[in-house]
Amino acid sequence: MTDWTKQKAERARRVAAVTSLVSGKVVEPENVTSLLERIICSGDRVCLEGDNQKQADFLAESLTRVDPAQVHDLHIVQSGLVLSEHIDLFRLGIARKLDFSYSGPQSGAIARALDQGKIELGAIHTYIELFARYFVDLTPHVSLIAAVSADRNGNLYTGPNTEDTPTIVEATAYKNGIVIAQVNKIVDEVPRTDIPGDQVDFIVEAPRPFYVEPLFTRDPAAVTETQILMAMIALKGIYAEYRPRRLNHGIGFATAAIELLLPTYGKQLGLQGEVATHWALNPHPTLIPAIESGWVQQIHCFGSEVGMDHYMSARSDVYFIGHDGTLRSNRLLCQNAGLYACDMFIGSTLQIDLAGNSSTVTPDRIAGFGGAPNMGADAHGRRHISDAWLKAGREAAGNNGPLVRGRKLVVQMAETFGEGMKPAFVEELDSIVLARKLGMPLAPVMIFGDDVTHIVTEEGVANLLLCRNADEIEQAIRGVAGYTPVGLARDRVKVEALRQRGVIRRPEDLGIDILQANRNLLAARSVRDLVTWSDGLYAPPSKFRNW
Amino acid sequence: MIPENVMNQPSWYESSARARIEGLLDAGSFKEILGPQDHVMSPHLALFDLPPAFDDGMIIGRGLIDGRPVAIAAQEGQFMGGTFAEVSGAKLVGLLRAVARNAGTPQEVSTVFLLLDTGGVRLQEANAGEMAVSETIHAILDVRHAGVPVVALIGGRAGAFGGGGLVTACCSHIIISEQGRISVSGPEVIETNKGVEEFDSRDRALVWRVTGGRSRVLLGGADSYVKGDIGSFRKAAEVINNNAPPLSLETLEREQGRLEHRLKAYGNCHDTPEIWVIAGLSTPAGIADLTEDDFIDLLVKEGVRHDAR
Repeated sequence: MTDWTKQKAERARRVAAVTSLVSGKVVEPENVTSLLERIICSGDRVCLEGDNQKQADFLAESLTRVDPAQVHDLHIVQSGLVLSEHIDLFRLGIARKLDFSYSGPQSGAIARALDQGKIELGAIHTYIELFARYFVDLTPHVSLIAAVSADRNGNLYTGPNTEDTPTIVEATAYKNGIVIAQVNKIVDEVPRTDIPGDQVDFIVEAPRPFYVEPLFTRDPAAVTETQILMAMIALKGIYAEYRPRRLNHGIGFATAAIELLLPTYGKQLGLQGEVATHWALNPHPTLIPAIESGWVQQIHCFGSEVGMDHYMSARSDVYFIGHDGTLRSNRLLCQNAGLYACDMFIGSTLQIDLAGNSSTVTPDRIAGFGGAPNMGADAHGRRHISDAWLKAGREAAGNNGPLVRGRKLVVQMAETFGEGMKPAFVEELDSIVLARKLGMPLAPVMIFGDDVTHIVTEEGVANLLLCRNADEIEQAIRGVAGYTPVGLARDRVKVEALRQRGVIRRPEDLGIDILQANRNLLAARSVRDLVTWSDGLYAPPSKFRNW
Repeated sequence: MIPENVMNQPSWYESSARARIEGLLDAGSFKEILGPQDHVMSPHLALFDLPPAFDDGMIIGRGLIDGRPVAIAAQEGQFMGGTFAEVSGAKLVGLLRAVARNAGTPQEVSTVFLLLDTGGVRLQEANAGEMAVSETIHAILDVRHAGVPVVALIGGRAGAFGGGGLVTACCSHIIISEQGRISVSGPEVIETNKGVEEFDSRDRALVWRVTGGRSRVLLGGADSYVKGDIGSFRKAAEVINNNAPPLSLETLEREQGRLEHRLKAYGNCHDTPEIWVIAGLSTPAGIADLTEDDFIDLLVKEGVRHDAR
């Protein structure tokens, strides 16, 4: 006779094994490592909550202290591998296999660990893709998560940085897994219930609040005139042409420049109310001037941002705010919004090849993807229309055919020469070189060329929708690649022909006065200006202050 | 919300040294001495494979403010950190000596404006730079003896550190903005020598709380506080009269007394809010977060805390 409840029994066995270490659901910090040693079994799939912002850092630290003889060969399934403790798990032999999305500061360490055979890599995912696999074949046995506060029944308040938590808990709790939460404080009553207590097995009050990285703060003082020029080209050559109302911005300085130009140059172009009214976007401080000037109707957030909480609470017409008065973010839902409900993604990249493929991988770093491939992908399942989506689709189809589907605008911005004067345009992406070196069957490409619709550099904008074959795409890209070797190797006759057809448009073709591209055009030129715009509600972290 | 007429005001902090001169003087009145076309450049930087500048980051000359003749010198903080070096120092010292010599002649100027923006001495030519600092101080004192006030304007990205902090303190009058900083040892230098517990140079709020414009003016280390746009610096420069106390023994003794009192009252404080508590300010912890208008109101209420320099 088949036993259909083996998972349930195993879960009950593990929970029973720790009764001496807990009081109800509460475990004391000093008992956490012992609890983890009894709850987690070798070979388990474990999600140690960590994304590009918030970190279950106390639980991560505690997990590195388990006895590797007792707990080993874990399969880590989490969106962000960001803390040094995450790498330590592999170094110490506690974990062996890895499926993840984003690594940021640990990108160099991951590449080294892969090279040394310390990590057995499953795949590098996009966020939404990893979350999807939580429900198919990467369901966690144990999830270690972070929340702001909990009551004694395990009801959790995850607050503005809710992010991945509901998704992780859903996958774990409803498939006989075990959920352990570190909280900043155990309280009598949580301000709102983000995670119901019956989905949470154990809670621990961590000795210090969980760490949050200010990842989306771009100091207006560091925006360059080249970035301002690129922002002007994007606004006039793309925003004014397609009028995308629903969009997502990447986190680079080029898009920060666009945000800071909306109330000035965007207004001169008469775009207020016509573009960029609804967003899937993290709480970018650089969007404050546009919000305060009345450009923005609604923003849903993947996560929060350090210092933005009071501002967002006070702007509840714009942001998603709980009845308790604080932001609710949700990475899965916002990624889905970015994929299906946005007409445009625009973001910076480090490298673009001749087919328009782009990557942020360098030879010794595996930074992962995060969400950009979802934001920057045409959703073939989309069935609702918008003017921007249809216009892009018609351009791609050459206005031919009875059945023209729309296209999402996917815009890549790159200065022709990046940091250290490295050309952004290359014959072969570093990620392909890296994949060859590590024997990866799929090179980590951030956005594939067939999804890219426009490339913006300080030399102009290339509209790939209007290109009819691979050769035209190559020459359109060379045509905006400036003085890089790729740009210098362009066929001048073909590039000029593309310019005549409007495939390539230079600043002068767009009627942009290059001399107008200076910092006085920014609606805010310092973090201090952003604070002033916000009526003092934005409280930037100390490292961004100069007052 | 920032009103549109304020939003696009050119900021002193952001502007180049030349843009600051242009915004400070009457339009078209600047006559540069030893300009870039003269190619008087650092003879040392090439040894370090560093590119020189045609003006060595020091712009000197004469001009008018409200029709009054003035002498002006501006450091370009974005070139080598606006440092004191052989050529840049010689240009500044030469300007100051000419002002002292011309006092009482038809060539006399009413005021000297020093637009300092500097990390101190240029390390690649340190001996010449140290000499330049002491010669500059000597020359400033000569100019003041000759009855011409020397006014420092501090609000650039590099602040006024090292020898630049000493030069600033020797001026008759100091105008500063919120972003401006004055000190001798820079934050990184203190951290390197005394440890991060003594001073965390990456805690920018701390750096500004200690060295920034608001603290300096409240402590008497600066005389006028202005908003950060070029227009506000110009307005403050217009109203500088020759009311600075004479450079006499009596003045110096009063200043010494003030500094002794300050050391006794605040010497054990580790951060400026502790000082503001002792000084009896109403929002000791929130000085940095006041709006510009509120802070200027506070200054009017508190009054300037010293009368000597």
